[in-house]
Amino acid sequence: MSSVSSSQPTAAPPLQLVLTSLLRADFVVFLKNRRTLFMSILLPVFLLLTTNSSKSTQHFGGALFVIGLAIAYGIGATSIMGYALTVARDREKGVFQRLRVTPAPTWTIMASRLGMQAFANLIIALVVVIVGCAMHHISLSAGQYALVLLVSILGGAVFLSLGQALVGLVKSADSVNAAGRLLFIALILLATFGQSGVLGSAWESISRWTPVGAVMTLFAGVLNLSAWDAHDSLILLACGGYIVVFTAIGIRWFQWDAR
Amino acid sequence: MIRAGQASSYVVAEEHDDGSLLLRPNTSDQAIVERTSGQRGPAVAERQGLLEDQRNGRTGVILDVRDLSVAYGSKKAVDDVRLQIIRGEIFGLLGPNGAGKTSALSAIEGLIKPESGTVLLDGIDIRRHPAQAKAKMGVQLQATSFQSQLTIKQIVRLYAGLYGIKLSDPEITDSLQGIGLEGEASKPFKQLSGGQQQRLSLYIAVVHEPALLLLDEPTAGLDPQARRQLWARIEHLRQQGGSILLTTHSMEEAQAVCDRVAIIDHGTVLTTETPQDLIEKHKDDPRVREVAHGEVTLEDVFIGLTGSEIRE
Repeated sequence: MSSVSSSQPTAAPPLQLVLTSLLRADFVVFLKNRRTLFMSILLPVFLLLTTNSSKSTQHFGGALFVIGLAIAYGIGATSIMGYALTVARDREKGVFQRLRVTPAPTWTIMASRLGMQAFANLIIALVVVIVGCAMHHISLSAGQYALVLLVSILGGAVFLSLGQALVGLVKSADSVNAAGRLLFIALILLATFGQSGVLGSAWESISRWTPVGAVMTLFAGVLNLSAWDAHDSLILLACGGYIVVFTAIGIRWFQWDAR
Repeated sequence: MIRAGQASSYVVAEEHDDGSLLLRPNTSDQAIVERTSGQRGPAVAERQGLLEDQRNGRTGVILDVRDLSVAYGSKKAVDDVRLQIIRGEIFGLLGPNGAGKTSALSAIEGLIKPESGTVLLDGIDIRRHPAQAKAKMGVQLQATSFQSQLTIKQIVRLYAGLYGIKLSDPEITDSLQGIGLEGEASKPFKQLSGGQQQRLSLYIAVVHEPALLLLDEPTAGLDPQARRQLWARIEHLRQQGGSILLTTHSMEEAQAVCDRVAIIDHGTVLTTETPQDLIEKHKDDPRVREVAHGEVTLEDVFIGLTGSEIRE
């Protein structure tokens, strides 16, 4: 151990090395959890398959909305349930406390986790778009693919902020698990049945403004840019609002220690 | 307590009303003072000399905790605690369950925000410069937990990186060999035995050669062999110039290992002494005599001062 004495603040470890170390570790965890990623892709693909008939597709507002719903389903599941639960479990086990006694700034610990989850969202969105477009015989330009990736980052941020708010407001991992499932199912059902018009026109309008409905609309919008209108722009703003509000809740009430 | 023949190494710095003397080494460049039998770490006189140095603006104190208070809602867990740990010292924080040991330690580690007070690590305020202060501090928490998907090698690489140290594969292998875990590099942390987990946790806590090591009940749950091995490692770290602050429930251990101990109860430090001085000072206290069977031990003093009732 060092016996060097100094009352001057010594240099903190380089931020780049701290972030690289955290990202590398989180990437290893991501690779080892590939089964979760696989399931997050499989479920939206299953949704695409079950709504493949032209009648079903029309019920949901067309092929582009179905693809949007499938992507929202995939990234919503992994962000609201997967991310929130992993954070809650690590918090309960004391993983964060161990990291927090190191010189790593606390924001880097969470940024690394969120970054890795955003990467997973990109993969899910890309795979679902490719499969969905192949099923519905839609061809996309490189620009549209880029936009899909951009929207998946934005949509992912909506769900990740929702997951962060959840893990901020709910302490125990079991409760986060239960609340996450409940929230996700409620959002998905509302978006699915609301958009299909089964619940009536009032619920149809409401469902378009829910996080899942808004993300679905954005995906449908970038997949058919020529039809982009003022309503889509408002939805884009709503997504920004969701991110700000949920992130603020998630930061304000988040506790690093489960005790 | 200075052996005959050693007295010339010290000068009287202060003479107290109770007749006790504050001694300090009479040569300023004397880094290591020969210890009296039974003493570990810097001798009392040296510590007092170092404290004197600190008062004179020199840096003998590695950790300075001033008026630290921690509250959870309306409950005060730590109340106006003051501690000073001297370079090269092993300092024990003793107290019954719920006395405030872990809360005090958590505030020192920067894990919780104190209600008031300051924590200076080698002169660096942990609240103002957390990254710089934490870079000088090694911590072993009561229960260590790492991401379960990571292997030992990946854990070592991660934590070395967080302290700004880039370790190559051969360097990690060498380090693991040094703590007898070379064959476990690709295993997850959970698959290690209690003693192996403890060795790895301690290695990670000192991977950056910290000036101060904080250990929260480091020997809890360890078998006698693993405990002895751990203490040998801690003693080795101290010999290299490190200082150690630990909490423990084992009075026997505190008596054997710590240079000084503080007894904390209900969030307040009751006393801070060398184990021997603590026994000497309180051996005639009726509360201590009541619980002592034969020769008074540190445990008798501890129970005498904090009470016999079972805590939470």
